[in-house]
Amino acid sequence: MSTARVLRTALADAVARRSAFWAQIGVMILNDLAWVAFWLLFFHAVPGVRGWDARRVLLLYAVLTTAAGLALGLTSNCRRIPQLVSGGALDDILTLPVAPLRHLLVRRVDPVNLGDGLFGVVLFAVTGHPTPARIAGYVAGSLLGAALLASFLVLTGSLVFVTGRGETSSLAMNAILLLASYPVDVFSGATKALLYTAVPAAFVAGVPAGLIDRPGLPVALALVGATGTFAVLGGGAFTLGLRRYTSGSSWRSH
Amino acid sequence: MRGRRLTAPAGAASRRLLADVAGLVSVSAFYVVVSVVLAGLWRAATAHGPVAGYTGRELTWYIVTAEAATCAINPRLIEEIGDDVVSGAVTVEMLRPAAVGGVRLAVETGRALTRLAVLLPVGAVIGWTAVGPPPDATGALLAVPALALAVAVNVAMQHAVAGISFWLRDTRAAWFLYQKLVFILGGMLLPLEVLPDVLRHVASALPFAAMAYVPARTAAGHVAPGLLLVQAGWLVVFVVAALAVFGAGERRLQEVGT
Repeated sequence: MSTARVLRTALADAVARRSAFWAQIGVMILNDLAWVAFWLLFFHAVPGVRGWDARRVLLLYAVLTTAAGLALGLTSNCRRIPQLVSGGALDDILTLPVAPLRHLLVRRVDPVNLGDGLFGVVLFAVTGHPTPARIAGYVAGSLLGAALLASFLVLTGSLVFVTGRGETSSLAMNAILLLASYPVDVFSGATKALLYTAVPAAFVAGVPAGLIDRPGLPVALALVGATGTFAVLGGGAFTLGLRRYTSGSSWRSH
Repeated sequence: MRGRRLTAPAGAASRRLLADVAGLVSVSAFYVVVSVVLAGLWRAATAHGPVAGYTGRELTWYIVTAEAATCAINPRLIEEIGDDVVSGAVTVEMLRPAAVGGVRLAVETGRALTRLAVLLPVGAVIGWTAVGPPPDATGALLAVPALALAVAVNVAMQHAVAGISFWLRDTRAAWFLYQKLVFILGGMLLPLEVLPDVLRHVASALPFAAMAYVPARTAAGHVAPGLLLVQAGWLVVFVVAALAVFGAGERRLQEVGT
């Protein structure tokens, strides 16, 4: 079965429970509105922080919600690798003639996070001053941010093959999403360096949002490079981890 | 005897939590990340002078305290209680010789206070490292009981809200909305003084302020002991409400089943 067909089936499954689907999307939109309210209230009290104002932060938030919506909505299993591995859920995938990681990622769609993506699109349309060039930057930046986020979560989730525990992955996801939702210039020194390397939160939203305002080839290449690097690292860690995967005999009751 | 029925499960829950070292490390690590980020944002905001009457040092202690009050709580408590009611798991608890609501409140309060006891020294290190000692020694001392009250009010209100699942059956979305009300109207992300006047008055009159704003403002050196009395008042209100809702829910289960 092709990856596209698996994704279509997962989407159809998510939409099948129509009222639950829209309720979950609505809840996520309300959640995002609360964050927009926070930033508007913040910049109501503070005129600007290190060159960031309400407009720039809302653009960052539009990219972040779109990227997170794509990564955690369409490839939602990228955050569940520890649970899937410890629950023995890879067994049936390994018997199929498909690339395990790609199949695993698109097998489940999470409507809650699709709400995030939908919100991001609307937020960009309303506050992002869309022009053809800016729309192109927003789409490319969001896609790269989503790919990087999913790759990072696969990488940290694959640690479960070695450690046997999923707390690190959960912490890594919370940390990267949290760090990506704040202006990168708030940080300095080692923390800022961390955001461009080990926990690449800056590349999920801050760098793509900056490219929409000020397009530039070196920064764009850095974004593509960072995404490619984490994609290779994530895929490699999962493939190496599969060699240690031995849960075929685990007992389950579902 | 009746008190022991509640303290014994609370103590056992606390010991189980302390035994889960990896879980505590995970909660502490998240607390460190979120506190450092938010405190950094507010310190940057006060680079050119105080904001809403708070200096950068005060806001750092404000954020460290507000985050401790919320990170000590299981954020999905409402959802988990609702799931237990809907799945029928709560009916097994009705076989015990103690009120379900009372035991659950005691257990969750025990867990939350234990987490808080772990987070407090971590928060003190973050605050001290970033900006030095708390702005006011009295405020720092009073912030400890204010934090305990904040956690207790939060747990009690979540039980009162989650008890609605005896009738509505689905409270999965409620925890999400509840959490956001604590974020903004509870003063977890920003002091209530930052809000526009009308919203500030509304937020001050709601119970969410007792869950983050009161201990945070106290730790920031703006001491007002009367606010602790307000917290105590909300605690009584929500403990009574939670016990009443769970009591009525239990009677409903006995009459009509799950």
